[in-house]
Amino acid sequence: MKPILKFEQVSKNYPNGVHALKGVSFEVQEGEFISIIGPSGSGKSTLLRAINRLIPISGGTVWLDGQPVSAQRGRKLRELRCKAGMIFQNYNLVYSLSVLQNVLHGRLGYMWGVKGVFGMYSEEDKQEALDLLEELGLSQFAYNRASDLSGGQKQRVGIARAIMQKPRLLLCDEPIASLDPSSAKTIMDLLHSMTQKRNIACIVNLHQLDVAVRYSTRIIGLSKGEIVFDGAPEDLDDSAIERIYGTSRENLMMGGNADDKEDTAHCA
Amino acid sequence: MTKKIPLIAHDLKKLYTGFLIAAVVLFAVTSILTEFNIFTLISNGDAFWSFLTEDFLLPALPKASRIPGVLSSVVVTLALAMSATTVAAILAFFVSLFGSEKVSPFPRFAKVVRGFATFLRNIPALVWAFILFSSLGIGTGVGFVALCITSFAFMVRAFVETMEDVSQDCVESLQAVGATFPQRVAQAILPSCLSGFLSWFLYCVEVNIRASTIVGMVGGGGVGLTLFSYIKSFQYDVALSIILLVAVMVIVVDQITARLRKEILK
Repeated sequence: MKPILKFEQVSKNYPNGVHALKGVSFEVQEGEFISIIGPSGSGKSTLLRAINRLIPISGGTVWLDGQPVSAQRGRKLRELRCKAGMIFQNYNLVYSLSVLQNVLHGRLGYMWGVKGVFGMYSEEDKQEALDLLEELGLSQFAYNRASDLSGGQKQRVGIARAIMQKPRLLLCDEPIASLDPSSAKTIMDLLHSMTQKRNIACIVNLHQLDVAVRYSTRIIGLSKGEIVFDGAPEDLDDSAIERIYGTSRENLMMGGNADDKEDTAHCA
Repeated sequence: MTKKIPLIAHDLKKLYTGFLIAAVVLFAVTSILTEFNIFTLISNGDAFWSFLTEDFLLPALPKASRIPGVLSSVVVTLALAMSATTVAAILAFFVSLFGSEKVSPFPRFAKVVRGFATFLRNIPALVWAFILFSSLGIGTGVGFVALCITSFAFMVRAFVETMEDVSQDCVESLQAVGATFPQRVAQAILPSCLSGFLSWFLYCVEVNIRASTIVGMVGGGGVGLTLFSYIKSFQYDVALSIILLVAVMVIVVDQITARLRKEILK
């Protein structure tokens, strides 16, 4: 099977001398649900943004759907970006516009000239956006301003916008880091079901190890810009965790862990 | 207990004392340099007082035949400020898109654009007016250009900062969906910054109402020129009523724009 995404010895050096990625290589197949874990500053965000060239890389090649991303400019780059939907920690919606308008932004990559600039979307696109909002349980908010929604609802709009792109790949940059535990579960469930249903590969940057283990088909551990673990969630043992975070499992805050509850009890 | 417990750190106290001494010295030196002396003001007080009471007070109305002319000159000043600010705002919007590293498609030139705007802005409108009057002759049109230049430069800076505050996140997300630069401008930057832009625009209208009176005095027309002609012909009492009229005009416009800005930023 042809991989959707392929990293070949990708490196990124920032002008301030930080080496965010050092010769990273991996492949992503259709339908995979991959969590990328690692401490802050390990290069997770850079890795995700290298895929759609929001951050240009310094060395190596990123192949998206068989085409090298870094070689593309202008129109070709836009076409490639259409193939990778993106979801952000801070939702990154245009808050002064309606929910529906925000969802339809997902179509901009396919539009040209005045139509795109003035947001003259086709009736089919609008219908599809409404259907998508229905599926995500937001149909009654279609004409609300995006700023009126709660965090979990905003992130669902973010998901709808990404799905509107009809992507092959979904990139999620810490999608649940700003959410309460209940909204976080809703979002992770939605990401999982929406991508499975549409056969979209999904890459999620996460800080929550238990979430990564529960949802992913594969986990990539990043430390100081290098891949130190790449395997199934079952294989993420204590030594792998220590390689990723540089400290043993006991020193980590682990949600849903029996030891953790005990610790809290002692503190209380 | 002999030693008092200090409330602030010793170093900080020394710093404050230093500042106080420096301020006093600075005042003394600058007073000597400018030959300002409070006592001359008091001893010449009589002349000043008689000028105020005899020449200035009470405010007198201009001749009845002149009143429509004075009122229309007020309208000219208001129109000058409004039109100059509007034209400047439209130009400033397009230029400011290239003045922010985060938004501009040519981030390397962003510094050049901002530097240019800063240069224009640091020359006051009055100086621009004099330069333009000497080269193009006097007239409302030239006053318009002078006001336009300064408020354009000011708004470029203000708009760039508004854009950098507000739209960084949504610009990134629209980049990720594959939107073009004009699409990003129309669909993300403009809607999320519009209230900020309008607020700065109204502030600029306020500033330009005052500035257009001054620019008018030196040749730009409007109520400034009317006022100046009464002062030059020693009709100080009429001048006073025009000054009061200008004050009322500025206060009314300030009130309106302040309320509008509050509404917009809600």
